[in-house]
Amino acid sequence: MSSGFNDNNKKIPLNELVARVPNGASLALGGSFLHRGPFAFVRELIRQNKSNLEIIKQSPGYDIDILCRAGVVKKVRAGIVAMEGNFGLAPSYRKAIETKAVILEEHACATLTAGLRAAAFGIPFQPCGGLQGSDIPSINGWKSIDDPYGKGDPVWVIPAISPDIAIIHANEVDRHGNVRVYGTSNWDRIMSRSAKTVLVTAERLVENHVFTNQPEMTLIPYFMVEAYSVVPQGAWPGSCWPEYEIDYPAVEEYMSSLDSSVLDAHLKAAANRLELSDA
Amino acid sequence: MPNSWSPFSYIVINLARFIRPNEITFSGVNSTMPMLACLLAKRAYDWDYIYINVAGGVDPDPSSIPLSSSDPVLAENTASIFGNEDFYDLCTRGRMDLAFLGAAQIDGDGSANNSVIGDWHNPKVRLPGGGGGAVMLPTARRACTWRTEHSKRTLVEKLDFRTSWGGFHGVVTPIAVFIKREGRLALESWHPEVSLEEVIDRTGFNFDSSLSKPTDYPTVAEIKALQSLDPHGHFERDAAVSIRIAAHAAP
Repeated sequence: MSSGFNDNNKKIPLNELVARVPNGASLALGGSFLHRGPFAFVRELIRQNKSNLEIIKQSPGYDIDILCRAGVVKKVRAGIVAMEGNFGLAPSYRKAIETKAVILEEHACATLTAGLRAAAFGIPFQPCGGLQGSDIPSINGWKSIDDPYGKGDPVWVIPAISPDIAIIHANEVDRHGNVRVYGTSNWDRIMSRSAKTVLVTAERLVENHVFTNQPEMTLIPYFMVEAYSVVPQGAWPGSCWPEYEIDYPAVEEYMSSLDSSVLDAHLKAAANRLELSDA
Repeated sequence: MPNSWSPFSYIVINLARFIRPNEITFSGVNSTMPMLACLLAKRAYDWDYIYINVAGGVDPDPSSIPLSSSDPVLAENTASIFGNEDFYDLCTRGRMDLAFLGAAQIDGDGSANNSVIGDWHNPKVRLPGGGGGAVMLPTARRACTWRTEHSKRTLVEKLDFRTSWGGFHGVVTPIAVFIKREGRLALESWHPEVSLEEVIDRTGFNFDSSLSKPTDYPTVAEIKALQSLDPHGHFERDAAVSIRIAAHAAP
């Protein structure tokens, strides 16, 4: 069996893409805070009543908040969690951690990256700079090792983190599943290299020659991508540069109350406006 | 008094005053005031510096000023994208001259808690978490932070949890500017409309104030630059900073 994905039927509807996520899976989610997150995918996880998911992301916000709000998460490994913009803390995430409904593995963003790098490099752990004097290593049971070559200071080593699936929202894919992201790719590259498989949503499908004309623009080559869906506005209510900016009124509405009717209305608005329009 | 401080301008402009010519200076997520400070320094001062940010921008020229300090607008007109892994690695290899990092609680050593109020395992308030600080605070050449509330619950004798160690070089609040001196935060200056006694009274840790004085008023160039970034006062209203928090003001 091949280590890569080279079949020609990778383009599937969003509901089928999300149906590939088993309950209990660990998911690395691309983007950062309200920017270019795979948010349509995240809402479909809720619609499909997934359970016991583990979410891995350096800077989750809306995504982890709505998943905690819907009760589909069991564990979070994250560096910094907030709604950002001018919205402050993520209230449903905060409640989930404070009531112990969800287990937190607290990272610095760079330690989570180090764990992903270890998996990407095929090694059991990865040294990470900094962390001197921080209480974070001890709550996670991380070890510090001496430089075996006797030249440098001791360094903290972070165990490998290999997500079951990396979920990336991209600007463009081609029919083979090559992936392009405009602007910063945040941590998507290392997520794609450390995960066991990659699922992609994209704003649009473009011809293969767009990729071959400028191959250095490709973030993830097709053979790493298991399947993809074309989901315009798939990062709503967040931004997807340069296609659209944050929909602040929609986020405000989502944040207006923790009442379940607000979540229901938000999911319905998203479905009416975006996901179903693509189906 | 055209050159007087507002609590908002006090924080933004005093953060900008930490920026030095030619240095690599970083602003990150959840950091609207440092973002404004970095953009202000580019407009207010007659020297240049290297501005990098969490949106991947390198000396960007954004077409608008975003509410979110990680907004992709902050990479407009950049000639390269210097991504998340890049700026962390730059910092850990010792070449980040100045990083602006957030902090919920700060102690007299300039360490920070961004993780939790109460016990980590039984949190009263779960805060955003480790973020950049645990790795950047000890490895950046200088790191500076800000608090919009100056009180004994934000400037504490003992942190509930030490997320980041390494000692901030500078801390700005609506009423004071602290700078690290011999490993401890020392008072550099205070808002000219409050007293030294009030700063001492509202700070949870002990500090040296022997070299402190009232903060110099903003220059015309600084005020103009801030007005150009926030012409309608949206950021100032949003930040809702006051010299004294409601609990202090209420009878």
